Amino acid sequence: QSFKLLGFLDVQSVPCARESVLYGSVGSLVVGLGHFLATSRVRRSCDFAVGGFICTMLGYWFYCRYNLAQHRIQQRMLKEGMRNKILFEGSSLDPERKQTGSERSDS
Amino acid sequence: MANHSQFGFQDASSPIMEELVEFHDHALMVALAICSLVLYLLTLMLMEKLSSNTVDAQEVELIWTILPAIVLILLALPSLQILYMMDEIDEPDLTLKAIGHQWYWSYEYTDFKDLSFDSYMVPTTELPQGHFRLLEVDHRVVIPMESPIRIIVTANDVLHSWAIPTLGVKTDAIPGRLNQTSFITTRPGIFYGQCSEICGANHSYMPIVVESTPLNHFENWSTLMTS
Repeated sequence: QSFKLLGFLDVQSVPCARESVLYGSVGSLVVGLGHFLATSRVRRSCDFAVGGFICTMLGYWFYCRYNLAQHRIQQRMLKEGMRNKILFEGSSLDPERKQTGSERSDS
Repeated sequence: MANHSQFGFQDASSPIMEELVEFHDHALMVALAICSLVLYLLTLMLMEKLSSNTVDAQEVELIWTILPAIVLILLALPSLQILYMMDEIDEPDLTLKAIGHQWYWSYEYTDFKDLSFDSYMVPTTELPQGHFRLLEVDHRVVIPMESPIRIIVTANDVLHSWAIPTLGVKTDAIPGRLNQTSFITTRPGIFYGQCSEICGANHSYMPIVVESTPLNHFENWSTLMTS
């Protein structure tokens, strides 16, 4: 069974969602409590807590999604490289063969 | 295909659908942030005493102009990126025509000689054990996997729509007009879709089935169909 935050965000199946919400909650607590300890103003501390939640959550979300996108690109390049290695191994198009051939011609 | 009572997207089987799913997750996260803020403000308003002392609100007006602009930029930029990505046409390896009729699809592989067929839904009474009700067809659209495919969609009589959710494809079939779409299947499999424009009594009974196979299997199939 999936858990949907506010009824629409499935935090279990969406990558980075669970961590974003958890970090957002921690950030909210830290900012809100910190502000309260510094100023003893409850109302303003609550405002800062909500702002901290939103900023931390979105900040971690962008950071995590950027890293995820980079991993996906690397995965695709790896998959393409593995497929090309299997396809061209031993043939004239094999890049490793071309490299060793050029090393031999240099030496 | 979708499971019973499925609410979310099907797993993506094309790069465009993967991007669409990611953008959907991004939009939901932005929506969560906005809903949290609105919920908090609503709670504040409910606890506040009513007063008419406010005469000037320059700061809050600035905030509630700048913030929505930022939200719009956060949503518009990835959305436009995907929109333009969907319109990119690589050199397609295969072009085929999908023609909507009442109430079946016909497909023409004009890259081959004499390869065209009609695709009717298999009635429930004739459905073999374990096959999907209202989704199976007698002749599937077979395509090679990991190859750019161009589909030209049109209709013979009334409006139809050629849609396959897992590939992120939905193209209207309009009589007298040729609409073009393209996709790449990232993995082999059988992908189901249904007509997505109301077209009469049997609108719900003209499914679309695409079978993505390795190239050698596709070549065998095309040889079989043309012989």
